[in-house]
Order: sequence, then C-alpha cells, then structure tokens
Amino acid sequence: MLGELEQLVLLAVLRVGDDAYGVPVHREIHRRAGRDLTLGTIYKTLSRMEAKGLVASHLGAPTPERGGKATRCYVVTAQGKRSLQTTFKMLRRMSADLDVGLEPT
Amino acid sequence: MRRLCIRLLEALLPVDLADQIVGDLVEQPDRGGLWICKETIAALWHLRRQRAKGEERTMRFITDLRIAARLLRRSPGFAAVSILTLGLAIGATTAIFSVIEPVLLRPLPYPDPGRLAFIWERDRDGSRDNVGFATIRDYASNARSIERWAAIGSWLPTLSGNGDPERVNGDRVSATYFHTLGVHPALGRDFLPDEDVPGRNQVVILSHGLWQRRFGGDSTLVGRPIAIDGNPMTVVGVMPASFDNVVSPGAEIWRVLGYTNQPWTCRTCHHLRMVVRLRAGVEMGAATAELDRIHAQLVQAYPKDYASVGSLVVPLQFEATREFRPALMALGVAVLLVLLIAVSNVVNLQLARAVRREEEFAIRTALGAGHMRLLGQLLAEGLLLSALGGVAGVAVALVTIPLLVSRLPAGLPRAGAIHLDIGALALVTALIVLLSLVMGLAPARRRRGDLGVALRSGRRLASGGHRATRAGLVVGEVALAVMLLAGAGLIAKSLLRLLSVNIGFEPTHLLSMEINATGPRYRDDQAIYANHRRVLEEVSRLPGVSAVAIANQIPLGGNVDMYGVWDADNPPTNPELVPSGDRYVVSPSYLRVMSIPILSGRAFTEADNADTAVKVALVSAALAQKLWPGQNAIGKRLTIGSPTDPPRTIIGITGNVKHRALDANVTQQWYVPEGQWRQGADNQAVVVVRTPGDPAALAASVRKVIASVDPTQPIVHVATMEQLIAASTAQRRLALVLFAAFAGAALLLAVTGIYGVLAGSVAERTREIGVRSALGATPSQIIGSILEQGGRLAVLGIVLGLIGAIGLTRYLRALLFGIAPDDPVTLVSVVLLIGAVTIAGCLIPAMRAARVDPSRALRSE
Repeated sequence: MLGELEQLVLLAVLRVGDDAYGVPVHREIHRRAGRDLTLGTIYKTLSRMEAKGLVASHLGAPTPERGGKATRCYVVTAQGKRSLQTTFKMLRRMSADLDVGLEPT
Repeated sequence: MRRLCIRLLEALLPVDLADQIVGDLVEQPDRGGLWICKETIAALWHLRRQRAKGEERTMRFITDLRIAARLLRRSPGFAAVSILTLGLAIGATTAIFSVIEPVLLRPLPYPDPGRLAFIWERDRDGSRDNVGFATIRDYASNARSIERWAAIGSWLPTLSGNGDPERVNGDRVSATYFHTLGVHPALGRDFLPDEDVPGRNQVVILSHGLWQRRFGGDSTLVGRPIAIDGNPMTVVGVMPASFDNVVSPGAEIWRVLGYTNQPWTCRTCHHLRMVVRLRAGVEMGAATAELDRIHAQLVQAYPKDYASVGSLVVPLQFEATREFRPALMALGVAVLLVLLIAVSNVVNLQLARAVRREEEFAIRTALGAGHMRLLGQLLAEGLLLSALGGVAGVAVALVTIPLLVSRLPAGLPRAGAIHLDIGALALVTALIVLLSLVMGLAPARRRRGDLGVALRSGRRLASGGHRATRAGLVVGEVALAVMLLAGAGLIAKSLLRLLSVNIGFEPTHLLSMEINATGPRYRDDQAIYANHRRVLEEVSRLPGVSAVAIANQIPLGGNVDMYGVWDADNPPTNPELVPSGDRYVVSPSYLRVMSIPILSGRAFTEADNADTAVKVALVSAALAQKLWPGQNAIGKRLTIGSPTDPPRTIIGITGNVKHRALDANVTQQWYVPEGQWRQGADNQAVVVVRTPGDPAALAASVRKVIASVDPTQPIVHVATMEQLIAASTAQRRLALVLFAAFAGAALLLAVTGIYGVLAGSVAERTREIGVRSALGATPSQIIGSILEQGGRLAVLGIVLGLIGAIGLTRYLRALLFGIAPDDPVTLVSVVLLIGAVTIAGCLIPAMRAARVDPSRALRSE
C-alpha cells in the first residue's frame, strides 16, 4: 500500500511522462490535486521511492534557464506501476457498495 | 535573499540534490523571495537525512555544532550568562550608537553641509544673541565669505477650515531659505525673491507631514489658498518627505518673512536667527574674523544700537546638536565602558571554562583527536554562543531603541533618522565574536608535550597561566565599575540638587495650557482681553479649580520673551545696555495662582486695569537690586521696552523665579497687569490653573470649557507644572537611568569576577590549605589570606578606577549641577560601596577555604 504522498508523486510522474523532474511534477500535483507541496517534499518522496525501486532516474541535460544545473528525470518502474495497481484495487475493494459518495464520477 | 538561499542549499546539501533543487528554484524566477525561503527551509528539513551523505567537512561542522549545543544545554548557567552578557553588550552598544550616529555624527542631509553655519551676535560675556534684521542685511551685503544667507523667525500659525483649528509650529523665513540649505520643494515651487516684501508675502510652503496629515496629501492643494490665522494664504509648495529640518526640528510650515522697513527691521530687535552658506573654501575662522570686522564698523556707525561686540559663526551641524551633545556624549562614554566590561567578562568566562576543560581535551588528544578536530570543536562552540548572543543583542537593541527614543529630550534634531544601525550591529558583533573566539580557543593551544602533565595533574595545576589574566580582568572590571558608579553618583547628586533648587513658585497642583486667539475677530486687543476674561470666568467656575490666571508666558514653559527696562527718571545713554527682564503680562490673579511670594509692597488687584490713571508694575527682587541697588524700589518709576512707554509705578517686589531652566542663572522678571499693557495684546497666552487635587485629571474639563468660550481657539501644550519640570531635567534623568543601570551591571560583573577568581584559586589550593591547617594555621588566618588575595585585586581596581573616574567625569561636566566632577563625598562613597561589595564577594570562597578538612585534603591525592 502506497502512502498518500507516494501516490500523488507517482501519478504525477506518470502524467508528466518524459522530463519528469521537480518543477513539472510540482505543477502537475498543484494543478490536478490542488496540493501545494514543497520541492523538498517531492524530492524526499522521489528518493525514498527510488530506494524502494518504485521509480528510476537519470541525469538530464543542463539548461541555461536552470542556471546551468542539470535536471534529474524520473520514470515509474514496472514495480511502481504494480504498487499503484495494488493500492487502487485495495481502495476500490474497501469502498465498494458504500453509499458515501465514493463512486467514480 | 535568493542568493543567500541558494548558497545555503549548496553548502548544506549533497551536490546532486542541491543542483536539482537550485535548478528548480532558478527556473521559476517570477516567484517571490518568501516562496524561495519557504522552499529552502522545507528542502533543508525534508532532505536532512540525505545531508548526512553530503560533504564530510560540512557534516563534521554540523556535528560539532550539535555537540556544542548539547554542551551548552548541559551547563545552562554558563550559557545563560555568556549569551546575556553578549546580548546586553551588543544590544546596548548598538542601540546607543544607533542614536548617536544620526544625531551627532552623520553629515547633515543637505548638499555640501560643511559650509552651512549659523551666525549670532556675540555679547560682551561671549554669549550669543539673535541678529537684528538690519544687521543681517549688513552682514550679508558686506561679507565676502557668505555665499547665500537666510533669516529665520519662529511663527506659530493657526490653521482653520478643514476640521478643528490647529496650531502648528512654523518659521517665517526669507525667500532664500531653502535655496541656502540647498533643498527644493517636491511639489510646486520655492519662494520667489519678489515675494519677500510686505503685502506679497501671503504664500506658504508645507512640510510633507503637515500636507499628509491635514490635507490628505491632496496634490491639487498647490496654488490654492488655505486659512491661516483667519487669512487666506496660498500654498506654493510642499517639501519632500525626505526633507530633514535641522534648523528648526518642529517646523511644519514656512511663510516668507517679507520685511523691508517695518519697525521690527531695526538693529535692536533680536528675534531672528541667521543661517548662511559660506563660499567654498572659506574656513569658519576666516568667516568669523571678517564678520567681526564688519560688526566693529556697525558698532561704530550705530553706537546706540549695539550691546554686542562681535559675531559668532557656528557650524550648523554643531549648532543643531549643541543642546543634546553633553547627554549623548556621556552616554557614548558609558556604553563604551559597558562594552569593555562585557568583553572582559566574556573573556573571563571563556578562560574559566577553558581551565575546566583542559582535562577533557587532554583525554581527547590522548584518544587520538587531531589538533584541527579540537579547534573545529571549539570554533563551533564559540560560533554557536556568538550567534545566540548576537540574536539576543538584536532583540535588546530592538527593544532599547524605541525606549531610548521615547526618553530622549524633546526637540532632538533628526530623531526621525534613528533606527537600528546595521553597520554598528555588525561591527560590535564582529568585535565581540572575534574576541570570544580567540579566547575560546585557549584550551586547544596546549601543546602535545604538555599532555602528560595535563592528564596527570587534572585541573589542579593546569590553570596557572590563565590566573594572572583573569586577575587582570577582574582588576579592570572593578576599575570600570568605579568609573561608572562615580558617574552615576555625580549625576544623581546633581539631579537631587537641581530638584531642590528654589524655583520661586509652587509647582505642585498646577495645570497649564496655551490658548491662541487668531483670526479677524481678534484684530482688536480688547477682543483678546475680553476672551481672556471669559476664559478666566468660565474656568474658575469648574469644580476642583481653586484659582485660575492668564499670562503671556510661564516659567519653564520654554519661552524666551524679554524686554529692556530702565529707571524712567534716569534714562540710559545706550538703551542696548539696559538690563532685560522676562516679560510677564498677567491677569491680576497670576502671582497668587503660581504662589510667587510678594516680598514687599502689594500684589495686583482687579482695580489695576486699563481705566486707572496710574500704571503699575511689579519687579522681581533681582531686577530691583539691579536697577536700584541698595534702595527701596517701591514707588520708583519703570520704563519698559521703549521710551514712549508710559512710566509705571512699582508697587511691589516679588521673589525671583527660575524662568528658563532649573539649572539656569536667576533671570529678572517684571510683571504688568494685562489691561495696562499697551504694546500689543498677545495672541498666545497660557492659562494656569491651581487645584487642590490631581492637576492632570482636570485637563479634559478645562479644555472643554475653554473650547466652549471660543471653539476656534486651538489649545496646545497641556501640561502639569511637574511635567514641565521633568522635561527640564530630561537629559539628566536619561543619563542617570543609563549610568545607574550600567554601573549596577558593572558592579555585579566585578563581584562575580572576584568571586570566580577566588573560588578557582581556593579549589586549586585545597591541598596547600590542607597542609597549612595541618601545620597549625587557624581558620581565621586562612580566611585572612584569601581575603587579602581578593582585597589586593579590589584595591588595585579601585585605585585605577579612581584615576579613570577623574578623567571620565570631566565629560560629564555639562550634566553636573552644583557639584564638582571630583566631588570627594561621591568618590569616597563609591569606594566604600565597591569595597563592601567586593569583600562580600570574597567571603564565600574564604569560608570555603576555612572549612577545608586537612585529613581529607591530604588523602585525596
């Protein structure tokens, strides 16, 4: 079962696709989930998930608008996707037949 | 801020991680600084685990800091005293410097301020006097050293329309005034030369503050008329907010002087000040010499118009701060002493701690810690302490500065420029931090060769080298405490003397306020007097009012209004050389309300009014003595101000009052009943109320009643007489409070210093003391030897302190009153106090020494 932050960040990385580093991931979470996470939180979650094998990373090219700093881009690994599936299946089973407004809309 | 955050991230995070975050931050340049801060803090917090994998050196430093924090927490006493001492010293020094710097030291905010100066007429006794208008013109047109000049007279206009009538402080100035200072209005224009004539001078310039406060910053105001003293005057300009008015700190409105040849353009009317801009390259001395020459020619040409013998050229910067220099300088000296004490105390604490830790460091060295490692540890401890001390210092300064500003004497120029001086803060902090760091490194200085000694002997022998330094520091602290105590004692004694001075009237239960009759309805003198009568009538009916009077001025109210007076039957040859007396045009009840004694003759009665044929006057004893030495002045005839004034018969002699200040010389007064004053009624008048109860509590109702008589007259300067007296002693009070506080702190530090040295010495000498008592020394002999050790330090400190005090108190001379700077009684009391307190500080260690059990002391090794 993934934690809340892990779910948010994993989904955001999937949505961003290529070039998933701090700024776009942060933006995606802000835009879709309305959560204003700090970059520190995002990187902390990413590095924890990298240690668990849920994401993998590679260094991107340094760009001038980043002051010559390289990006580190993340992709979700197969294990990461499996974890997401498990988590969501679990949530769905737990919420099935509950009449509290949890049905997909 | 951005750069600082990036630096922090790069310094504290591993390179790879820092690059990612910094890159992300840089990539979003339009986010604010606050966001960057938030992100930085969050990143440092969330990624603190990752930090551990970071650069080793940074990490080690952080570990050192952590250890240092733990050590401090374990010795809270040492931490608290160090941080408090550092904080107080940094804070107090910064606060006082923040006050002194803008007021005394910073160049005036005008172009080329060194060339601006005041010019005064110089009287026979070297004192200054305002310059007559005709003299100003002659100076200006004849002196080659003067490039621009301006005449300034004070002006207290009442603004009406736009809400309640309000009296404001202003100046009547020649059209050249702002040009002379080198400043320009921010809105509108400066005065024009052809406005400086009667009839065309109905133009004013407002200060930014007045414009904002009363006119809501309305930019269409320029060019429009406003009602001033009931007349329309056109606003031609508004000064910028940045205009710092040093010439008259309170003035908010300026009007063109417009003198040409009215009666008051004479040489003898001394109501104007003259400010000039000297030509570039002209020295003050050269200007004085030239003006002296011109003045001598004027005296020759108009012998009856001058009492002055020359002129004085005083730099504007100096003149503006003249009044406040003594108090501020004394504070500066005091705070320097405090800084010295604080530094010596911090050094002392560090040394004491170093001694205690030598053993620890020896063990760590033996276990293989490198020299650099130990140094790093000490550095981290020193930095942590200093950082905490610095934070405490900023807090102290932030609290102290507004407190100081609120206690500063009123009218201090450039008080608005006082705020926390970052430069001073940085400098003081750097100084103290550097010192404490250097001293804090002492334990690491021990060579490896001494290691065996240090390990074997423990703390017993290790500290010998520092003891001399610490004893020296204690001597210094005692000396500084003596100096500060002497200063505090002298100021306190002066203040007591000052407050017990006979001011000539009874100041308790008196309330005073100034009223102002302006506008077309008061063109006529009789209308003003009728207004006064109604005010007296209405106020006297108030419950709680036992008597009420009106006068043109009151003692200690800050007015200087003097007229020359002479024996009507024996007129002088040069009217300028006649004695001046404070002018008191009063309602008959005045002397009774103020409780000014009638020494002989009688007081005024209601019958002494405009209708009586015989005009009367009262004179103070000093004036009577001056005009008719050795004779009875009653029945003599007095002429006031001008030969055309009808002679007045003197009907009584009053006691002298202190008119200008408690510490001023006795001036001379004369009193004339209001109805008999024919030289123009006063628009401004002071209402004085005597009450059996609390005068301050009466203020609101008296105000209300006066407003009910005429709602257009503004009421200002509401104060009890005791408040006026307090204001008159404000500088000394401030100096006393600070000196006393500083002296107390110094005394405390000196005593703890002596205690520390002796306690350390007793602990080190336990074995020796044990041997002594085993060999038959009595407890009293042991106590005696310890006391002697402390006494030697105290005596040395006291002697040095006395020498210092005699040097220091010379700077206090301007604050002293009726007491010599080397007043023996004060110095002896200080010595006795310090002696008693230091002996008390020696007693505890001495008792401890006497209780040393010889068998245990000898066996413990």
